[in-house]
Amino acid sequence: MRSLLNPLFAIVLAAALAACSSTPTEDDSSATDNMSQQTDTSPVTPVEPSEPVKPDTSSIPLTADNFYNHPSNYDGTTDSRVIYFAFDSNTVPAAAFETLRAHATYLKNNANAKIRLEGHADERGTREYNVALSERRSKAVEKFLRVQGVASSQLEIVSYGEEKPAAFGHGEMDWAKNRRVEINYLSGRP
Amino acid sequence: MIGVLRMQQTCKRKVWTQISIALMAALWMVNAQAELLIKVTEGRVDAVPIAVVPFDGAQNAPEDVSEIIQADLHRSGQFKPLPAEDMLSRPRNEQEMIYRDFKVLGTEYVITGSMKRQETGGYEVSYALFDVARQKKLMSETYRPPESQLRDVAHAISDRIYEQLTGIPGAFSTKILYVTHNRHDSNPYQLQYADADGHRVTTILRSKEPIMSPTWSPDGRKIAYVSFEDQGRPAIYIHSLATTEREKVSSFSGINGAPDWSPDGQKLALTLSRDGNPEIYMLNLSTKGLTRLTNNYGIDTEPRWLPDGEHLVFTSSRSGGPQIYKLNINDKSVRRVSFQGAYNARSDVTPDGRYLVYVHRRNGNFNVGVQDLQRGTFNIVTRTDMDESPSVAPNGSMVIYGTQHGGTGVLEAVSIDGRVKVELPSKEGEVREPAWSPFL
Repeated sequence: MRSLLNPLFAIVLAAALAACSSTPTEDDSSATDNMSQQTDTSPVTPVEPSEPVKPDTSSIPLTADNFYNHPSNYDGTTDSRVIYFAFDSNTVPAAAFETLRAHATYLKNNANAKIRLEGHADERGTREYNVALSERRSKAVEKFLRVQGVASSQLEIVSYGEEKPAAFGHGEMDWAKNRRVEINYLSGRP
Repeated sequence: MIGVLRMQQTCKRKVWTQISIALMAALWMVNAQAELLIKVTEGRVDAVPIAVVPFDGAQNAPEDVSEIIQADLHRSGQFKPLPAEDMLSRPRNEQEMIYRDFKVLGTEYVITGSMKRQETGGYEVSYALFDVARQKKLMSETYRPPESQLRDVAHAISDRIYEQLTGIPGAFSTKILYVTHNRHDSNPYQLQYADADGHRVTTILRSKEPIMSPTWSPDGRKIAYVSFEDQGRPAIYIHSLATTEREKVSSFSGINGAPDWSPDGQKLALTLSRDGNPEIYMLNLSTKGLTRLTNNYGIDTEPRWLPDGEHLVFTSSRSGGPQIYKLNINDKSVRRVSFQGAYNARSDVTPDGRYLVYVHRRNGNFNVGVQDLQRGTFNIVTRTDMDESPSVAPNGSMVIYGTQHGGTGVLEAVSIDGRVKVELPSKEGEVREPAWSPFL
């Protein structure tokens, strides 16, 4: 799926990212406050599964936060196994809806299939707190799949926090790649 | 896949008493592992000038006790050792002591000593401490350790001298437990411990899956940690250092994290999300009874017992971002403790219960902050970034923590007042999550 990013687009993105290179340090209170409020008071409400609409990707601003969440990064099938999250967020990205619906459909049609939702955080902050934050991401994905009608017995959650990074650098792009939930088929892999 | 584990190292514990000092026994390392190299980056301006005269006979010994003592005192940041080449005379004992040779150099204290190989195999190590201004011997002792315990004796002498001169027990004979990560290794995650000066590294556990949050039992005989070795799922293990026996004490669905031993060693505080949300629980280690201590929709994690055994501090997001709260175990009442900034997490507490140390975020940087619970003051004591997992020495003098140098995880230590800083860079891989042992 990574290959879906066309090289020209990648170059444009890289340039745009370089332009805003001075690492934007998040406004503390607002960011974290926002986050837990969303978690606790407004549960994720996925869009009703109607006919899938290909989103218009042209106007999406180019930031590290949505680099990996660009719709071109999800192929809308069960081949896409990683869902990326914005900084300090556990909101399931709209770009991943179609992919998650594909997984939900597959799971509903294959009762023997079981998945593990593996939550991850970027390296900023303390380790155990990040484990808790990454669990919230997995739970958001779990909730999405449950709303689609997936049985809870087909879902497991494991939270790794910052312990198993996908990228080992220490910049915005690596952090964005590490804020993720990986969908791991334990059985009945498509 | 099950993480491949290898218990390396049998660690034998013998108690060896001499002049009423009990020493932890030898932990033999056969293969040389990456030792932590220690560098004092900031000492006190008013560090006390001291001279550790090279011990007579130390040149031919397998370990130079005087060199270890000098490094210990230097690393405390409280003392400024006089380089041997600057010494005007090198007395071996009280008879040879010429006080004015040290007085003219501004040296306040002098340590002399000797190492003699014994017929029986071990060594006789003697030392004496002199006060230059009063021209007086303050103390002298003799130890007869086997060769394998020369480093232990050196640290024990450092402890005695430090206590004699500062009034605070030395913590040189203690150990540091930590996690290493080297992603090019077939077992990238390792749990190790070493002497407080970084020497004599012992590997406790090697795994393909993450190891987290190691912590000591109050008697220093056991450790607890989180390991994901069982099919990638987290569980809390208690591991006896002497026997290498392990017990899995918590493997509920969801998070099993952040273990911390109660001061009496009977209970473990921990984080579980088995009821849907990360909450603090208390596990009675003999009855295995589990008590839930928090009940809040926010994240509650990273519990630490206060010395009274009646309270815990922990990290909670109940008011938005993470902050430190204090919990009364008996009535489960909770009170917020940290108020500066929007991110305060992973606290530890000094043995006297007076200071809280925790990770504080300021301008996007993560630093170690110290909060004085008596006076209400708060100070940031590090200038690095990405600092985490502060752990207080058993004598309350220093805090060891994980940070990054050039993108690699390293350990550093800082005094509670922020005036002394010590680096402990590892030669290879990442080092993180240090836990300072109790007095052993």
